[in-house]
Amino acid sequence: MTVKATNKEKEKRIGLFVCHCGVNIASVVDVERVAEVLKDYPGVTFSTDYVYMCSDPGQQMIIDTIKEKHLDGIIIAACSPTLHEKTFQEAARLAGLNPYQIEIANIREQDSWVHSDKEKATKKAIRIVKSHVAKARQNESLEPIKVDVTRRALVIGGGVSGLQAALDIADHGYDVILVEKNPSIGGKMIQLSETFPTLDCSQCILTPKMVEVSRHPRIKLLTYHEVESVSGFVGNFKVRIRKKPRYVDETLCNLCGECEKVCPQIVPDEFNMGLSFRKAIYMPFPQAIPGTYTLDAEHCLGLNPVRCGKCKDVCDKKAIDYDMKETITEEAVGAVVVATGYDLYTMEALGEYGGEKYEDVVNGLEFERILSASGPTGGDIRRPSDGKIPESIVFVQCCGSRDTEHHLPYCSKICCMYTAKHAMMYRHRVPDGQATVFYIDVRTGGKSFDEFYQRTVEEDKVLYVRGKVSKIFKEGDKLIVWGVDTLTGKKVEIEADMVVLAMAMVKADGVQDLLKKLKIATDIHGFLAEAHPKLRPVESLNAGFYLAGCAHGPKDIPETVSQASAAAAKVGDLFALAELSHEPTVVPVNDELCSGCGICISVCPYGARSLDPDRGVAVVNEILCEGCGACASACPSGAAQQRNQTDNQIFSMLRAMLRE
Amino acid sequence: MKIHYYPGCTLKQKMTALDISARKAMERLDVELVEPEGWSCCGAEYPLTEEKIVGLAAPIRVLRQVRDEGGDVLVTTCSFCFAVLKRANKAVQDDPLKHKRINAYLRDDIQIDPLTKERTTGFEDYNGEVKVLHLLEFLRDRVGYPKIRERLKRDLKGLAVAPYYGCRILRPRGEMAVDEPDSPRLFEEFLGAVGCSAVDYPFKQECCGSYVSVSLPAAATEASYRILRSAAMAGAKAVAVSCPLCFYNMDHRQEAIKEAFLDFPGLPVVFFTQLLAWALGVDKSLLGLGEHAVPADGLFTEIPLTEVRP
Repeated sequence: MTVKATNKEKEKRIGLFVCHCGVNIASVVDVERVAEVLKDYPGVTFSTDYVYMCSDPGQQMIIDTIKEKHLDGIIIAACSPTLHEKTFQEAARLAGLNPYQIEIANIREQDSWVHSDKEKATKKAIRIVKSHVAKARQNESLEPIKVDVTRRALVIGGGVSGLQAALDIADHGYDVILVEKNPSIGGKMIQLSETFPTLDCSQCILTPKMVEVSRHPRIKLLTYHEVESVSGFVGNFKVRIRKKPRYVDETLCNLCGECEKVCPQIVPDEFNMGLSFRKAIYMPFPQAIPGTYTLDAEHCLGLNPVRCGKCKDVCDKKAIDYDMKETITEEAVGAVVVATGYDLYTMEALGEYGGEKYEDVVNGLEFERILSASGPTGGDIRRPSDGKIPESIVFVQCCGSRDTEHHLPYCSKICCMYTAKHAMMYRHRVPDGQATVFYIDVRTGGKSFDEFYQRTVEEDKVLYVRGKVSKIFKEGDKLIVWGVDTLTGKKVEIEADMVVLAMAMVKADGVQDLLKKLKIATDIHGFLAEAHPKLRPVESLNAGFYLAGCAHGPKDIPETVSQASAAAAKVGDLFALAELSHEPTVVPVNDELCSGCGICISVCPYGARSLDPDRGVAVVNEILCEGCGACASACPSGAAQQRNQTDNQIFSMLRAMLRE
Repeated sequence: MKIHYYPGCTLKQKMTALDISARKAMERLDVELVEPEGWSCCGAEYPLTEEKIVGLAAPIRVLRQVRDEGGDVLVTTCSFCFAVLKRANKAVQDDPLKHKRINAYLRDDIQIDPLTKERTTGFEDYNGEVKVLHLLEFLRDRVGYPKIRERLKRDLKGLAVAPYYGCRILRPRGEMAVDEPDSPRLFEEFLGAVGCSAVDYPFKQECCGSYVSVSLPAAATEASYRILRSAAMAGAKAVAVSCPLCFYNMDHRQEAIKEAFLDFPGLPVVFFTQLLAWALGVDKSLLGLGEHAVPADGLFTEIPLTEVRP
């Protein structure tokens, strides 16, 4: 092995380019001396320094020198490889040199930026560069690994973000599978009444999109389905999808509604946030898509004609089938858009507000249903306990949000605007009503948002009180709200008929198991984590996964739609590639040395390694391998050697660095 | 079972009803309450300034005594004592600087041998070894409600009682940690176990006026009135308390309340231990009912328990 390596070293002609980075490096490291000292170092054929290696003339110099001096290895002593490795690899490629023959010696972040003694820093730079020379001598020319792409996307979640992402991807000309766990698409947005700041009806603007999704030839819509698992890798995922039995054949159901009339089981209606009731066989709402009844097995008397069977008896179309079973199908996709939405923080968590105790203390989404023309009161504002029109409503913002001590530290972003809308709608429909809003501060960042808020205050005469509410309780028929007005410093006590709590937005509870199975990165609050907060806001760190909507964090409808479209565009980018390139610096297995102990398999975080039972050795899926090197350091027999980062190279680097 | 018990000064002077009824009730549950040797006043109020370390010396001295007598638990009934002891204990456990400074004070306490009368010094540092429990907590966690139900002798016939927590046993959140401060169940569950029905009303954690009773009696009168009125409106026949000062403000002050608020009809106030003792069969003469300003005798009618509750 060593003999072979020595032979290789003799063959190589290495060029060294030391960058000044203006004064970033040159003020602390004597770059000219570094270039000078290395001139006669074994293997180095050419050595120079230049003020900005990343500039056009700098790169041109590299290209020209490679050609002129017939260099077959290059060391750039400059900034961190995370910044310009790609730049220099491209320059090498233009000069006809394999990009994997480029070495970056970091003498900025790891030297000039953290030291001030010029003499010592220069010596350190020399050592760093020497170690890279030792490595470069043994670098091999590598070619990226090519992978095919399955040009078909999976969208998880049928709310507005999922619908928009699915439509955009389909309109790009790619097939989409849209999976929704509920009986109908529409998500939370379909439950809303009017939308700020234009007050257009939420259902009116969303239903066209729902219809479009259901009719789009490229979208396969799977409602009442759940994603079981996603395996594979970017461009080549295998998805297992579970079909939940609806017990109604959606192709036969003609929505006559006879089944619903005879069903004896009465259940709180989820669509109306439990403010009204539905039957066990039901349609979630009139515009539901697909337009079919669904039998809720949990509340049905037993899916058994002996025990009840009334719905089956009256169904002329014979659409009801109690024997429907769960089925699992497998689909191949290349990209996954995760649009799993959000939930509201529970009112139980704020016991002092009595949300769980008093019927007339409702959360924002319940009030949306009360405002909605399709809601339990047909759009009349009536309080849940006795149907009375409330003479006074108190709106409380930041219920759980922005409370680092007891609840959630973040701002839920949409509550200021929807509370203004709620108060405005209430004043429009109950002109004599008194609307009071308690706020910490009003955040109206968004197009036409502040004008809307000003209208609420000035034209609709909503009283805004700056301060928090300490307690809400019932006395007789009235709710008593205790709060503080921090502008006057006085305690405030308000009698109200109803209280609306702007509960914080939190991660969706029902999808946490799924997210765990996807192994998708989340932040400390359980929202999906983006790859970069500024520059890659719609991609997950997990390649091939894209984020859309409130699963990623609180946001309003326009922002959700923008993000969904951006995620779809990113999926389009992926699908536009003829094939995917994967870094070739993976860790292959040397069959002759491998004993099949399996240690590398247990340490691999990507599931890239497995045991070949026939040959008794480890095998690696090079596409899944991310080149982290965990297996290479764990392998007891040296059978796992990372390309261009072999044990030999690492030891040579250490020797070069530590030798005086 | 022998357990260390800290009555506190008020229970030895003005509110003996709370002390006696607690002892009698616990006897019926096979628990003997033992006072630590030579206990002193706890200080009544936890020092509100960071610097005032000396205020912690008294409660820590009591806790150290319990430890040195071999105890690992100290039970109190008075909410004020409970708050001071528990918070002082936590300060010693969590704050190394306070631990060091308090122990520096206490190390030089003088010890007198009861036999030889020899005076020595040099106590071992107290590190928070003792657990401080309120009697309500002790009943819930160590005795258990099933055992109470087993031992019941009298039927309270679902007497509607409003549990009053006051300000001391629930907060600060996290430090007192006997229950969720905004929707507690501790007192309600206790009342259920002794055969009462707990009345839900919004003022159960509001302040009764506390010490303001001395400087601004009118403010304490109003604060207590609001609590009593809310309980009465919710249908309570009595308010149950665990704190002698709450008892004073709501019971002894009722004459003043009636003068200030003409609509107020009056409502008896009892200690939770009186209800417990009565239900367990303790004689009425041992409940200390003579200390009540608002007669509460009517609540304690002799109805033997005929059937065993589930």
